[in-house]
Amino acid sequence: MIEFKGVNKWFDKLHVLNQIELKVQKGEVLVVCGPSGSGKSTLIRCINKLEPIQQGEIVVNGMSVHDSATNLTKLRTEIGFVFQQFYLYPHMTALQNITLAPVNVKKIAKAEAEKIGREKLDRVGLAEKADAYPAQLSGGQQQRVAIARGLAMSPEIMLFDEPTSALDPEMIGEVLDVMVSLASEGITMCVVTHEMGFAKKVADRVLFMDEGKIIETGKPADFFDHPQTERAADFISKILSH
Amino acid sequence: MTTFYFGRLVEMFPFFLSGLWMTTKVAFISLIVCTLIGFVLGMLRANDTFFFKHLIGVYVALARGTPFVVQIFIVFFIFPEWGLQLEPFPAALLAMAIMGSAFICEIVAGGIASIPKGQWEAAASSGLTKVQQLRFVIIPQALKVILPPLVGQYVLLIKDTSVVSVIGVMDLTRVGWVTVMRIPEGLMVFALVGLLYFAISYPLILLSNYLERKMAR
Ligand SMILES: Nc1ncnc2c1ncn2[C@@H]1O[C@H](COP(=O)(O)OP(=O)(O)O)[C@@H](O)[C@H]1O
Ligand SMILES: [Mg+2]
Repeated sequence: MIEFKGVNKWFDKLHVLNQIELKVQKGEVLVVCGPSGSGKSTLIRCINKLEPIQQGEIVVNGMSVHDSATNLTKLRTEIGFVFQQFYLYPHMTALQNITLAPVNVKKIAKAEAEKIGREKLDRVGLAEKADAYPAQLSGGQQQRVAIARGLAMSPEIMLFDEPTSALDPEMIGEVLDVMVSLASEGITMCVVTHEMGFAKKVADRVLFMDEGKIIETGKPADFFDHPQTERAADFISKILSH
Repeated sequence: MTTFYFGRLVEMFPFFLSGLWMTTKVAFISLIVCTLIGFVLGMLRANDTFFFKHLIGVYVALARGTPFVVQIFIVFFIFPEWGLQLEPFPAALLAMAIMGSAFICEIVAGGIASIPKGQWEAAASSGLTKVQQLRFVIIPQALKVILPPLVGQYVLLIKDTSVVSVIGVMDLTRVGWVTVMRIPEGLMVFALVGLLYFAISYPLILLSNYLERKMAR
């Protein structure tokens, strides 16, 4: 479903992705963690070509992501992306945020797109907020609308870049609940997060990164309770002490 | 004496109106053209994948960094040597378009640059093309930043049209010069000229102030 083959990426001299080899199976939930600046965001941003790479290949659903012959629009309609800062369109209502791409990319009729949009809003528990503007919503609600926006294209893959890091603690739960329910529905998910509870509950695999390298991967219970490397152990003790 | 000249001035009022009409024509047409070109260039300039981003940068710097009167001389007197011979009116429009587009390009590019990168990325992630990202997501937000200085720029451009009088376009300013040769009451003549310019620009000044307040909210 998603495959990294010998991927290397640099920001100038900074080797931000170092010889990445990774396979994510259909329906798998992968949690990516690691210290700040280790390349987690960059890793998942490469999957939908928000970032270029300098070496290697990433294949998603048989499409070579960084091949210029690949239909980028098609690739991106199969992948939903959720940002730490939500990035809802502030000049549009929640429903308009969600229907923009279905109408203009998938060319779905407006009425049909709105029907789908309302379903997705209902699914994230915000059916009554269809006509609210982002500024009228709490952080947790905005992030749930952003998830609904990602889902509106019926993607097979959802990527999350620290979806709860910008939220007040009391709102983290509502967003994680939505993500847990998605995970149980068989969507392939790559989630950058330090939420250990979430990882233990739904992740099939945890991937630990440091300095652009994949240091360790394992089942969540094994990884968090018996890390194999000192760096991972160090990292886990730090997030536990928070 | 003054009363006598005032009578002459009243007689010449239709002449002033024709000047006002010419100024309005030059301003109206060139503002539309400048806005269209300025927006296109501004969008290209804000887009880092376009190799001619820097080309536009050079054009903008040249157009903004040289006096308009020099530019209009180049268009009217030098372009013919390169094979482009224009009557005063189209030459005035062309010079206005070259100069005005550069200023509007910068305003548009600045407005676009003020929108967080994440807005582009969110739109790109959902499969929208570059043009769709601009049209549906970026420009509607950037307009809030663009509109107040844009209307302010319109006021400046309207006043800049007075320079077209130097190549013989019979605009309001030229009407003033011609009249002063017949009626030696400079103050009265140019007060009228100034008043007529003010009549066009003041509504736009009010609009700019209004937009500034509205967009600040
Ligand atoms: N656009 C960029 N230009 C230059 N350096 C960048 C850019 N984006 C990220 N970096 C650097 O790359 C490294 C990895 O960043 P990132 O993938 O965001 O890490 P993480 O998400 O794990 O915190 C960091 O050192 C960061 O400063
Ligand atoms: Mg990050």
